[in-house]
Amino acid sequence: MKNRKRRANDLLSSSNEMSFYPSRIQQHFDAPRNMGDLADADAIGDVGSLRCGAVMRLSIKIDAKTQTISDARFKTLGCGYLIACASVLTETVKDLPLSRAALLNEAALRDWFGGLPQEKAHCAVLAREALHAALADYHNARQEEWTGDEALICTCFGVSEKSIEGAIDKSALRTINQVTKACNAGGGCRSCHPLIEDILDDYWRNVSPKI
Amino acid sequence: MPDEIIYLDNNATTRVAPEVFEAMRPFLEGNLYGNPSSAHTFGRQVRRSVEEAREQVAAALGATDASEVVFTSCGSESDNWAIRGVLESAADKSHIITTRVEHEAVRILCERLEQRGHEVTWLAVDEEGLLDLEALRAALRPDTALCSVMLANNETGVLFPLAEIGRIVREHSRALFHVDGVQAVGKIPINVKELGVDLFSISGHKFHAPKGVGALYVRSGLKLSPFIIGGGQERGARAGTEAVPAIVALGRACRLAQEFEGHALIRRLRDQLEDTILETIPNARLNGTRDRERRLPNTSNISFEYVEGENILAGLDASGICVSTGSACNSERHEASAVLRAMNIPYTAARGSIRFSLSRYNTEREIAYTLSVLPGIINRLAEMSPYEEALGRRGEAGKS
Repeated sequence: MKNRKRRANDLLSSSNEMSFYPSRIQQHFDAPRNMGDLADADAIGDVGSLRCGAVMRLSIKIDAKTQTISDARFKTLGCGYLIACASVLTETVKDLPLSRAALLNEAALRDWFGGLPQEKAHCAVLAREALHAALADYHNARQEEWTGDEALICTCFGVSEKSIEGAIDKSALRTINQVTKACNAGGGCRSCHPLIEDILDDYWRNVSPKI
Repeated sequence: MPDEIIYLDNNATTRVAPEVFEAMRPFLEGNLYGNPSSAHTFGRQVRRSVEEAREQVAAALGATDASEVVFTSCGSESDNWAIRGVLESAADKSHIITTRVEHEAVRILCERLEQRGHEVTWLAVDEEGLLDLEALRAALRPDTALCSVMLANNETGVLFPLAEIGRIVREHSRALFHVDGVQAVGKIPINVKELGVDLFSISGHKFHAPKGVGALYVRSGLKLSPFIIGGGQERGARAGTEAVPAIVALGRACRLAQEFEGHALIRRLRDQLEDTILETIPNARLNGTRDRERRLPNTSNISFEYVEGENILAGLDASGICVSTGSACNSERHEASAVLRAMNIPYTAARGSIRFSLSRYNTEREIAYTLSVLPGIINRLAEMSPYEEALGRRGEAGKS
């Protein structure tokens, strides 16, 4: 009888050791990194999933000089997987240049966990969407604040049309890649690539008669 | 973490009572392994025990005759057999009436029957989970074959007024009346005669018998097409060699339930748990009617608004407390339970719903311990929630 009791207890305790979530998820569920809000956030990304109904908010602080994310916090109404994705996301984007943050995708988060179950893959997508929403928020604010006379083309790096034209003129640039290398324009979210394309076209159309 | 698990998920399943285990033991390890259909001594011995169990089940249900009880493998089988059996026997009638808050065994089956051409009337519930009986009256038709309504809701514990429903069904139609009674047996007294039901499903593991055994009460005089065809067991009503140990256990569990005198304690512990949570946790709200006379005495379904139910579950689990949530995000789509949706519970509340369901084995100490850890878990999750304003936590924004 005693033996049987002990065996039952062993079974119970070994099942206790197994956490509710897989350990890499559980550690972030138990102790999420950077949970909360930033009182002086430069940008906020609020997103919700139509698929699962979870919501997440990412607040970021941006060092304008270095164009780098200096701090990040999250809040969420979502499952342990989303908490873990958000937690890892905030750790990943801290000290990351905006140009690289813009390129961060859900695969990077998935890989951090060594993959996510199919039904939880959308948690990583939602975390990435929160980041992109925060970056868009920052760019929109920049655009509104822009006081220069010329049009602002690359909002990620605050590069105006005039600066881009100047760079093209100076070094006879032909491609977007060359423009990015020369003046950073287009190195972030890439949403201005069609505009840079237009500027390149216009420039070379205007100069071609001289050749 | 406490040494022992605190099990507050008794609407999901229950532990096998020691008395029940002792009753079934000789049929597993002794000489009582005969086939009840055999004519020899071994068969006859076992046959007697099966019939004894049948009488125990009949007594617990208030059936007039033991022959009205047919053993099945589970509550879902009982539900499926009752509904399909009635439809098969009444080929001229194809209309079904049921509710939006039935257990899946009834709800999903009726959805499938609807897809295959049966007309189904889905009775709605209000925000308290209660039925509109006028709607039932209006839905009954000459071609209504069956009205299937549960006695006690598994998620909220809300009780439907079966006696009244049975009377309406009989007065306004020739439809048969099936009741999914799975969640009620052992928790409240049951009398199928007084309730006026034709078919009544029960499941052993919900009241301290093992999993894998159930029964269907079939009112005498009612001929139900068999669901499992084969040998003539159960007087031709259900083929398959009887699961003798489980059947004996079911009978013993029925007697145990009838003799149980501790209902008042379970009710008191549940009330204490529910009252304290609702009074002390600001974002807590009860799901299901506040009228405790119209709810099971062991069940509390409480939503913690703006926090995630799965995370509460995980938090309580880490403290050794087992509960369940009406919102598991384990599917492609995160869906609040059909029951809570039918009750129009706001999405942000349904998401944080937790069901506490007690049994005779819960103690005052366990409830006190649960009440001591729960606020901390909810508070931690509320801090994480982006709904600060709704949670009245605006002032805390900015703190890390």
